[in-house]
Amino acid sequence: MSREIAVVAFAQTGHRRTSEDVSEVEMLMPVLHEVLDRAGLKTADVGFTCSGSSDYLAGRAFSFTLALDGVGAWPPISESHVEMDGAWALYEAWTKLLTGDADTALVYAYGKSSPGSLRDVLTRQLDPYYVAPLWPDSVALAALQAQALIDAGDTDEPALAAVAARSRADATANSHAQLTGSVPHGDYLVRPLRTGDCPPIGDGAAAVILAAGDRARELCERPAWIRGIDHRIEAHSLGVRDLTDSPSTRLAAEKAGAFERPFDTAELHAPFTAQEVVLRKALRLDDSVRVNPSGGALAANPVMAAGLIRIGEAAARIHRRESDRALGHATSGPCLQQNLVAVLEGDPR
Amino acid sequence: MPEVLKAPLVVEFPFARSLGPVQSAFLTGLRERVVLGVRTTDGRSLVPPVEYDPVTAEEIRDLVEVAPTGTVTTWAWNHEPRRGQPLDTPFAWVLVRLDGADTALLHALDAPGPDAVRTGLRVRVRWAEERTGAITDIACFEPYDGDPAEPAGHTGEFEDVVTGIVAPARLDYTYSPGRAQSAYINALADRRNVGERCPSCRKVYVPPRGACPTCGLATSEQVEVGPRGTVTTFCVVNIKAKNLDIEVPYVYGHIALDGADLALHGRIAGIPYDQVRMGLRVEPVWTEGARYPDHFRPTGEPDADYDTYKELL
Repeated sequence: MSREIAVVAFAQTGHRRTSEDVSEVEMLMPVLHEVLDRAGLKTADVGFTCSGSSDYLAGRAFSFTLALDGVGAWPPISESHVEMDGAWALYEAWTKLLTGDADTALVYAYGKSSPGSLRDVLTRQLDPYYVAPLWPDSVALAALQAQALIDAGDTDEPALAAVAARSRADATANSHAQLTGSVPHGDYLVRPLRTGDCPPIGDGAAAVILAAGDRARELCERPAWIRGIDHRIEAHSLGVRDLTDSPSTRLAAEKAGAFERPFDTAELHAPFTAQEVVLRKALRLDDSVRVNPSGGALAANPVMAAGLIRIGEAAARIHRRESDRALGHATSGPCLQQNLVAVLEGDPR
Repeated sequence: MPEVLKAPLVVEFPFARSLGPVQSAFLTGLRERVVLGVRTTDGRSLVPPVEYDPVTAEEIRDLVEVAPTGTVTTWAWNHEPRRGQPLDTPFAWVLVRLDGADTALLHALDAPGPDAVRTGLRVRVRWAEERTGAITDIACFEPYDGDPAEPAGHTGEFEDVVTGIVAPARLDYTYSPGRAQSAYINALADRRNVGERCPSCRKVYVPPRGACPTCGLATSEQVEVGPRGTVTTFCVVNIKAKNLDIEVPYVYGHIALDGADLALHGRIAGIPYDQVRMGLRVEPVWTEGARYPDHFRPTGEPDADYDTYKELL
């Protein structure tokens, strides 16, 4: 007994370096309204609501409860929250719909990185005994991974710069992107990574609507059916892992059925250039697959929402008939520690 | 657009964490200048050691001493050290596989510059002068061109073992309250209470947060309310808060300002604490130069009828 479940609508903010003029709920609410409008739904029509965010980003305790004000949670709604990227909130909503408890779900995620120092904030997710006391920032850890790839002969600095240039060139067609067009590759931030190899730091939000079966067909002309979705995690200790590969991504993709048929598009959540190299290897991507037509996380990386945006962008291409089978990927933790893969398909044309 | 309000916000905790038996032995070992790994069931030696096998999840307790010398497996040059990092001069982040270990440890390498660092470089531990049983007992690594040090075969048994660590953490933020709350705070500095009305249910929220939590809509119509209001409920506080210069007992209440559909919080004074009651009519008391009322005091009006505020409880 399996239900067909689809992404039927997607919306996101314009991602900006700072959103200090609005609170979290003020930033989020227009996106909630937009995604509900696209599906022709009201809050009261939605069977389940699930969100992803982290209080550490803006340093505001229980910020997700205030964000819920933007949903209009009265009469009381069926609701949940994950302290993870919204892609994992989408996973929870997908399982909720699979059980038959709900036919529609609103999934949203938001992150305001601008109030804090993101590189330092992210150290707080690390092993608190052996690693966090050293405050290794997020760029430093990504740089260790990049150097390992260079040493292994998998890439070099010009190839990484090309990933950055391609991403930001593609992002010129994405009105929501933060960093687009010709961007200087810049100086070393933490060698071998230059500023151009790193994602822009910024604030933003995103939301999708999921619907099951015929409900999905009512709400969307061409639903993006989730044919499979899976997430896998690797050991937390960096020194235990092979940083040049991502077995968790590969396994999640296998479990999600990604390799059963070719896919034409992949939206990869690779905040650092070198991580795209790792993911291409793990997913055995060749040139037949269009990678990150949105520009990816190198063009806009609102932490906690950027993974959900990958799935939303992949789904939107199916909605627009620009793709028939797309892969959406989200990552969490240092150096691609945890990975989620969703396989999306449109009905045959 | 009005000026965006901002204020520094520091979040700081001394996290006290207890240790498992393997972590305890490893960190006690560092204090004694001994590096311990743990042996997995398939015979690999993990450094830093963990309590459970990362592959099989089996409990692992077989401690084995490794050398304080090793090899860099990857590195990254950090020309601009950040607060809390091991060195305050430019250094390399390194993963180091110590001699006798099968996995790598993350730490800092003190080197003159990026040209002096490469994968495969031989390094050794530089011990901190004062050691307490923490990962920072390794001050950093340093380049080393001698033979691998021979571990002494330590059993992992120590006197006076470390059972916990205290890891201070501090994050600095710049708080900005957003559009609706900024407007409220700015008006309050002019001694005006300005709430916002929901375009759908017409409720007036004070303080406004930008969204009607019932309808999920943006509030934007500004409505001045108060300054007088009614005590809807209250409590008597008998515990003196740290850094608060108010004698106990005092009364803290919910006050529905006239015209508001939501009660706000405030201290109620100018009346003995045991005479405060639901329905009491109050008004704000301002102190010179303050951006918000210090407290509320009775207006002397007759008490409000219960029916006038029962929906605001």
